[in-house]
Amino acid sequence: MIFNYIKIAFRSLLKNKGYSFLNIFGLAMGITCASLIFLWVEDEVSFNDSFAKQDQIYYVPTNQNYEGEWRTFYSTPGPLAQVMKDEIPGIIKATRSSPEELLFTVGDNAINKIGRHADADFLEIFSLKFIEGDRDKAFNNPEAIVITKETAAQLFGENTKVFGKTIKVNNQDTYLITGVIENLPKNVSFPFDWVAPFERYRDGAEWMTTYGSNFSDTFVELSPEANLEEVDKKVREILPVKNINSDTYAFLHTIKDWHLRSKFEGGKKVGGKIIFVRLFSIIALIILLIACINFMNLSTARSEKRANEVGVRKAIGSSRPRLMIQFVIESLMMAFFASVVSILLLLLILPQFNLLIEKDLILGISNPTHIGILLTITVICGVFAGLYPAFYLSSFKPVEVLKGIKAKSGSASFIRKGLVVGQFTISIVFIICTILVYQQIQHVKNRDLGYNKDHLIRMRANGNIIEKFSVFEQDLKNTGIVDGVALSNSQILSAGNNGSGLEWEGGTDTEEVLISYRHINSDFFKTTGMELIEGRGFKKNQDLDSTNVIITQSLAKLMGDGSPIGKTITGGDDVYNVIGIAKDYQYGDMYGSSDPVMFFNNHDYARYFYIKTKSGVALNDMLASIEKVMKKNNPAFPFEYTFVDEAFNAVFKSEQLVGKLSQIFALLAILISCLGLFGLAAYTAEQRSKEIGVRKVLGASVTGIVKLLSKDFLKLVCLAILLAIPLAWAVMNNWLQDYAYRIEINWFVFVIAGFAAIIIALATVSFQAIKAAIANPINSLKTE
Amino acid sequence: MILQLTNASRVINSGSKKIALLDSINLNVNEGEFISLMGPSGSGKSTLLNCIGMLDNFTDGSYTFLDEAVHTMKEKRRSKLYKEYIGFVFQAYHLIDELTVYENIETPLLYKNVKSSERKALVADMLDRFNIVGKKDLFPAQLSGGQQQLVGIARALITKPKLILADEPTGNLNSKQSTEIMELFSELNKEGVTIIQATHSENNASYGSRIINLLDGHIVSE
Repeated sequence: MIFNYIKIAFRSLLKNKGYSFLNIFGLAMGITCASLIFLWVEDEVSFNDSFAKQDQIYYVPTNQNYEGEWRTFYSTPGPLAQVMKDEIPGIIKATRSSPEELLFTVGDNAINKIGRHADADFLEIFSLKFIEGDRDKAFNNPEAIVITKETAAQLFGENTKVFGKTIKVNNQDTYLITGVIENLPKNVSFPFDWVAPFERYRDGAEWMTTYGSNFSDTFVELSPEANLEEVDKKVREILPVKNINSDTYAFLHTIKDWHLRSKFEGGKKVGGKIIFVRLFSIIALIILLIACINFMNLSTARSEKRANEVGVRKAIGSSRPRLMIQFVIESLMMAFFASVVSILLLLLILPQFNLLIEKDLILGISNPTHIGILLTITVICGVFAGLYPAFYLSSFKPVEVLKGIKAKSGSASFIRKGLVVGQFTISIVFIICTILVYQQIQHVKNRDLGYNKDHLIRMRANGNIIEKFSVFEQDLKNTGIVDGVALSNSQILSAGNNGSGLEWEGGTDTEEVLISYRHINSDFFKTTGMELIEGRGFKKNQDLDSTNVIITQSLAKLMGDGSPIGKTITGGDDVYNVIGIAKDYQYGDMYGSSDPVMFFNNHDYARYFYIKTKSGVALNDMLASIEKVMKKNNPAFPFEYTFVDEAFNAVFKSEQLVGKLSQIFALLAILISCLGLFGLAAYTAEQRSKEIGVRKVLGASVTGIVKLLSKDFLKLVCLAILLAIPLAWAVMNNWLQDYAYRIEINWFVFVIAGFAAIIIALATVSFQAIKAAIANPINSLKTE
Repeated sequence: MILQLTNASRVINSGSKKIALLDSINLNVNEGEFISLMGPSGSGKSTLLNCIGMLDNFTDGSYTFLDEAVHTMKEKRRSKLYKEYIGFVFQAYHLIDELTVYENIETPLLYKNVKSSERKALVADMLDRFNIVGKKDLFPAQLSGGQQQLVGIARALITKPKLILADEPTGNLNSKQSTEIMELFSELNKEGVTIIQATHSENNASYGSRIINLLDGHIVSE
């Protein structure tokens, strides 16, 4: 019997090729889309899964209070790790750890690699797998370094034993390889290519041993029996005691939440990227739903063709459940074909999708989980999409259909219309959201940053470049394409160093204000295009400005009425004179407002320099000229640079990804909906062919008939627009609340989305309508 | 006696009016009879056949089929009864387009859960008997009207029914094909199958052993 059903289903598919194509292709697109999303979700939720002890590992962030508000930072004081391990029962391992990019040189090979200086416990906590060397002894030597297999291959060539060899680091230090570890998978929150003992970080500077400066990441491992709440309570108590300051406390943050739930507000965990995981999962389900709706719509629309068969089958002895089983099997087959098509589509699309989202997702057809999920999706779609048509079709009474009485289409056509409205509502919501997301990103990107990011190149100040800066600067200027060279201790886009506890004349509660510190040179403002609105800039000779600072507007405002020029700011024993006021500029969170900044004229802390090039110079020539200067002044280091405008764009990566994905999904949703509408329009035209024939014979024009046929569908789309607008408004208004710097939702967006939907629907429907309208009426009238 | 109708009526509501499609029909049919129902369009021939065939129900009166009271019977039992004893032949053949001749004839057996080997034998016999072995793999659209109706009759006979109900079985056929079909019916009747046919044609009606004339839902003469 089952075989018989499958045979009939198959023939029925073949017989109605157009209809089968619409159904299978629509469903395949839905399944493809959902599969892509689920692959992405799988990757996101499996972050850090590669660490065997992930259930016991905790990151230790700190909450710090500024101006009555708790803010969360991942940096902790240096001594914290050891103290936690010594004093809190339940914590069995703890490590300091700070990321850094180092230049490794072996012979002629020189590469920059990001890694971490950390304590020996780090190797244990993260269960690093040693290929060469011994985990227990790896850090016994203070000059030790452990590198990944990939790094070893890049430095020494493939399949070379590297244990005991040395690497020149930053052209000055020597590290001894005491271990080679397996490469880390891509989905870890903190990729690193090497680990070395923490003692060598910043040469073990004095400030790293106090509780006063927060700079290091701290990770701890709890014993399997430890009570998390008790341990966390003790962790929270430890810093206020050691630091004699209740404004900062540490707490435990499981690394399982590190990737998806690392957003903190007011010192509390409030989610994070998990919102995207949820959002896209919902979108996947919605797109599947739209695809299933197509199936239901087309199946019930086709009911009159099937009604006869239902009548005959009932007359020769079929029961209703048997008919229902037959129809569900048909839709299951359809879904099965769709999933086969979607596997092919996935093979085609996945590489492009990976490029887009910058991941290494693998289809993994042999992975039982993937097969299971695909099968589940297939079966659920098949049953879900087939059940309503099965229920509806099997309800026909044989006497009526065999006599040629038309099946009552009242309830079915009502449901059909409802489904079309549903599809289009969702599609229009997608369109509106896409436009608004795009607008918001553009809005922030076009924001006046307070500096000019164009033609600005950032490079790391490697080696002794700072000591011979004046020569280097002159060499750059001699190329004729450089307008200026700026120095800074931190990247212009990033949050960088900050602190509090300063006092100034006329200030109240001043010491709670968090202020960023920037150590720059005299050309900084000119080079970056930042504006000085009052006072003077720094002198070329930094010694002349050793007690002078330039502050930003927002800090000036805090210093009370009147010009702050000439006032003093006190920090501990140091007293600074304010000599200039710079316009506020945007750094760190591009959507919010940035903290006040204090600039010092000091080259010695510089870690980056910025080169402003003249506009109109060809990119290749410009880079070649700069490279020549770099090679002359800093030959040991590879020529590496970043364009600030590109770095700026990179800040919006996750928003832009959301934007791009929502564009794709909106397009797919519309496309799938249109496939359904196309089929439905074809059906309506066919169903009404006799009516159209009669009307034409009576003198109706082609345009009149096209209008007649399109009108009904347009009504549905208009209803969908009315439903979509408030829905989209609510969703997007909610989304925009997350951004301090945001767009106003303009009613014009709704108009555009509405028009787009109408035009798309009209184009879809009118094709069929015109076809029906220009057909010769004789053909449709003589069929009876 | 194969079936007995006593004061059987079929009344439908059309708007606020009640219309009697069949009005107090009294009819006894014995096994082995060949009855022709005649009457103009709308006289109730098809309705009577459908009600006898249990695709439709009488709204009043009693209907006994093989000594069982159909009018008080549950739907399940009724469908079992007609699956077992009644075969339908339609004017428009109503073959299933997606199935071959062989499969069309086989389908009623599938619904009766007949075993595969037995099905094969039964269908092969039937194809043989109707001389359509060569056409068994064709689809209905590839056959002439007469051939389609042959398949329709073969499908009706495959379950060995006691009663064949034929609603204008030759209505869509030319006269030569009609004659063939009617001769087939009288042959079947001679083998003991009870037949009730509805027809407009005096000539076709004459094959029957008994003619019943209907008008506006009444039996007007026998």
